[in-house]
Amino acid sequence: MGKRQQKKRVVAMAIVLGIAFLGLAFRLFDLQVLRHSDLKVKALEFTQRETIRKHHRGDILDCNGKPLATSVIVKNVEANPELIGKYNEEVALALAPLLELDVAWLAEQLKPSMIQRTSGLVPRQWVPLKKRVPTEKWEQIEQAMRNLVVMAPEEEKALKPTEKRALHALRRRAITAQSDQMRVYPGQTLAAHLLGFVGSTNVTLGGKTIPEIVGVEGLERVLNTQLRGSPGWLSTERDGKGREIVRLRSEDVQPRDGLNVVLTIDSFIQHGLELALAETMAEYRPVSVSGVVVRPATGEILAMATIPTFNPNQPGESPPEARRNRVIADLIDPGSTFKPVVVSGALHDGTVRLTDTFDCEHRYWFYGGHPLRDTHPYGLLTVEEIIAKSSNIGTAKIGIRMGAESVYSWIRAFGFGSRSGIPLPGEVGGIVPPVNKWSKVSIARLPIGQGVSVTRLQMTMAICAIANRGQLMRPMLVDRLEDQEGRVVAEYSPQPVRQVISEAAARQITVALKRVVSTNGTASGAMLKHYTVAGKTGTAQKVENGTYVSKYLSSFIGFFPADEPELCIAIIVDDPSDRNRYYGGTVATPAFKKVAELCASYLNIRPDLNPDPGEGEQPAKTSVARAR
Amino acid sequence: MFDATLNEKQARIDRLQLAALAGLIALGLAFVYSATMVGETAWTTPFYNQSWFRQALWYTLGLGIGAALCLIDYRILARWSYVFYGGAILLLIAVLIPFIGSVRFGARRWIDLGVFQFQPSEFAKLAFILAQANFLSRPTEELRSPKVFWTAMAMMMAPFVLIMKEPDLGSALVLLPSGMAMLFVAGTPRKYLFRLLSGVGLLGAIFILNVLFSPPEWRFTLEDYQRRRLLVYFGVDYASSVSGVSKAEVEQLRRQQFNDSHNVRQALISVGSGGLTGKGWRQGTQNALGYLPRAVAHNDFIFSVIAEEMGFMGSVLVLTLYGAVLFSGIRIASQARDRLGKLLAVGVVTLFFSHVFINVGMHIRLMPVTGVPLPLLSYGGSSVLSSLIAIGILQNVNIHRKAY
Repeated sequence: MGKRQQKKRVVAMAIVLGIAFLGLAFRLFDLQVLRHSDLKVKALEFTQRETIRKHHRGDILDCNGKPLATSVIVKNVEANPELIGKYNEEVALALAPLLELDVAWLAEQLKPSMIQRTSGLVPRQWVPLKKRVPTEKWEQIEQAMRNLVVMAPEEEKALKPTEKRALHALRRRAITAQSDQMRVYPGQTLAAHLLGFVGSTNVTLGGKTIPEIVGVEGLERVLNTQLRGSPGWLSTERDGKGREIVRLRSEDVQPRDGLNVVLTIDSFIQHGLELALAETMAEYRPVSVSGVVVRPATGEILAMATIPTFNPNQPGESPPEARRNRVIADLIDPGSTFKPVVVSGALHDGTVRLTDTFDCEHRYWFYGGHPLRDTHPYGLLTVEEIIAKSSNIGTAKIGIRMGAESVYSWIRAFGFGSRSGIPLPGEVGGIVPPVNKWSKVSIARLPIGQGVSVTRLQMTMAICAIANRGQLMRPMLVDRLEDQEGRVVAEYSPQPVRQVISEAAARQITVALKRVVSTNGTASGAMLKHYTVAGKTGTAQKVENGTYVSKYLSSFIGFFPADEPELCIAIIVDDPSDRNRYYGGTVATPAFKKVAELCASYLNIRPDLNPDPGEGEQPAKTSVARAR
Repeated sequence: MFDATLNEKQARIDRLQLAALAGLIALGLAFVYSATMVGETAWTTPFYNQSWFRQALWYTLGLGIGAALCLIDYRILARWSYVFYGGAILLLIAVLIPFIGSVRFGARRWIDLGVFQFQPSEFAKLAFILAQANFLSRPTEELRSPKVFWTAMAMMMAPFVLIMKEPDLGSALVLLPSGMAMLFVAGTPRKYLFRLLSGVGLLGAIFILNVLFSPPEWRFTLEDYQRRRLLVYFGVDYASSVSGVSKAEVEQLRRQQFNDSHNVRQALISVGSGGLTGKGWRQGTQNALGYLPRAVAHNDFIFSVIAEEMGFMGSVLVLTLYGAVLFSGIRIASQARDRLGKLLAVGVVTLFFSHVFINVGMHIRLMPVTGVPLPLLSYGGSSVLSSLIAIGILQNVNIHRKAY
């Protein structure tokens, strides 16, 4: 025994040790070589984090910088029922009035529950409570949670440390909020058709889905790229406590806020126009009423409105026809307002002069087997009088003298049949039938605005071209783009489309248009006290299913001061329901007058009529007297 | 001196073991540095307060004490063994007294000496081995008497129970293999060994079954964290051990389990993510980013830092170095001409091996988490000193070997 046994036992021990070490080595080989790829991914999962950095959608501002559309930060309020635990009813009672939710429903939502995940049943840790809560409301909610009372203070003091910690977590972390942005239109329906509205989509960024606002209609849609900006993100690593390790940032992209869009729209004028249109709407109960205010010299649109309208804050609550911008998307037979288009062409060509006379056939004239009527019987009328009295027969005869090709090319030259290029979606180009499709009577119909389909905007811009010494401008809606600090990023300048008629021809037709707005013209209602106005009325009989019906499109488009035009205002009333009062001169001129007077004083337009300085004081005195 | 010239195999320093020791010390310094020099606070600390520097001081001190021990023949040391043993037992009792022992991480294991926190259990292990070796170095015939066997058992159980009381399950458990290996090599009859083994096995089985399955009122009194570590090790679903609780409570338990298994999981991930060659020195993310808790990364969990940063190559290197130390130790044991030397060497080797196996095993889920340091690599004065003293004892046995 003795020595030998001891030797044997030492060897046995050595073998046991050796086997144990081999076991360790084998297990290490398994982990570090065979399962390395799995475990490496796991180690990375712990550390890598992506954070999305929110960006701000740009505002839409009017020409004075007042916001028409803006984005506000709102909170999507969420809860972690696991932290709320048994206090769900207390929390629900505290929050229900702030969130404007039903207490019972809220308590049910806040109750801890389990949900099925791939890893098994896990407690529900995220419940959305309410979206788009204003920031002030959220602050109140935070306050309410911090001061949440679940038991008497002395009872709370007696709690175990773990229970105290749980209460602290409940007060600080159980109700959380995610920042989101919401599009707000402070003017409600103001300029709704121009601004359009937004919707929400989900954008995937670095594997995360984030909600993003997208323009659906109007400028929001057209300028979406400029307005939206882009989110930033941060790809980094976190330590065991969740703190960022700046050294290991791999991607760090700052968010880029969207640009602010500054429009040519003046919200004061826009509002004035909308008011005037609403009054017309109330008085005549038409299907719709539209108006446009343009600066003829530049094509800047100061206001554009259509009623019925909608509230872009709740676009879904209005029917689609209320959301349609009829000024650019609907086609009309313009009627008499169209007459200056063709006649000014004839004046430019020298086919007629203002003083040339035409026999207006005393109300009835058969041409091509169809009768052409005037509202009043006229005999011989000069070209000037034909426009002033809006004689259909006279205008038709001028057209016939010009010839089909000439009439067609003048209509196209004024921009009809092609889009005006206003930056709004849904604009249509209108229909001007080419000469080879004309019927026998077309030559007599087109000059008086029948058988041609145009948009209200095209009609307005054509009259603007006359006001602007014959030069047709592209309608301008966006003045400039600015960044969030107000630095100008892009500035747009007026864009002339073409010189349609000579300045001389424009001046001649203006003479005739001034006669329209005179005591014995068709638009006497549009006369202003301090300004000469030139314009043209229109009362177009509407065509339904190929036949003329007793529905009318009454319009007036005028500009002032007539010789140095500052503004051009178009009012178009679709189908006034009053069977006795439907003439453009009656229906559309009051709104024109209201808007024109408002604009004239607001924009300080220099009067060209009765410049009597003493007169201005009279109303001031009466108002003082009234105050007493 | 004369003997040495007669036979070159006799009486000399074991060079291989010293080379392996040097390798371990170098690795220890490098990775204590890597594990602790993360974060700004580490860099702003004066260098003499930085862990790697302190560790270097402990190495120097330990090497000095180890070398000094080699000057005294182990037979002379053995004469004082009962004094050391008695002193160690007194210290172990002292540490349990609240005014003397200081509490860290919920355990009363340290005696605060101001500059240095002294851990008596580290030295108690060595004192026990010395005393046990001295006690068992008697004729084989005497070992057959039950009295000797039970006295040896009592010598083993006294420090075991005291260390368990601290509580320090790991340090207590490493005493068992050392004591048993010494009994085994000393030539204790098989029947005793068999009884001992089956006794320990039975107790172990009862203990584990109790922890895992018994109803609460029948359970042994264990610290809560110890029970949970064991549950984690055996992969027991916390929720299954309780019944009649609500879903929320079940979930609470699951979360608890997830948190409790954090260190183990992270250590496993650290080791696994190292791959074949590792991420490079000081490039490991698990440690640097604090997934491995900072408090333990440089001591009990230093192996996962090495494994992550040096990969499989590094872990094999560590095991090879330990292997070299241990097998040269076994060689010393087998070449020892007297019982005392042999038993001392066996006891020290087994102690060393137990530490390595339990510590490395805990990283790779072969063993439950217990606070056992990795000898020479883990940061810590007591552990480094006792490890170097242990090596000194091995070398002592080799140097003072008599050529009979």
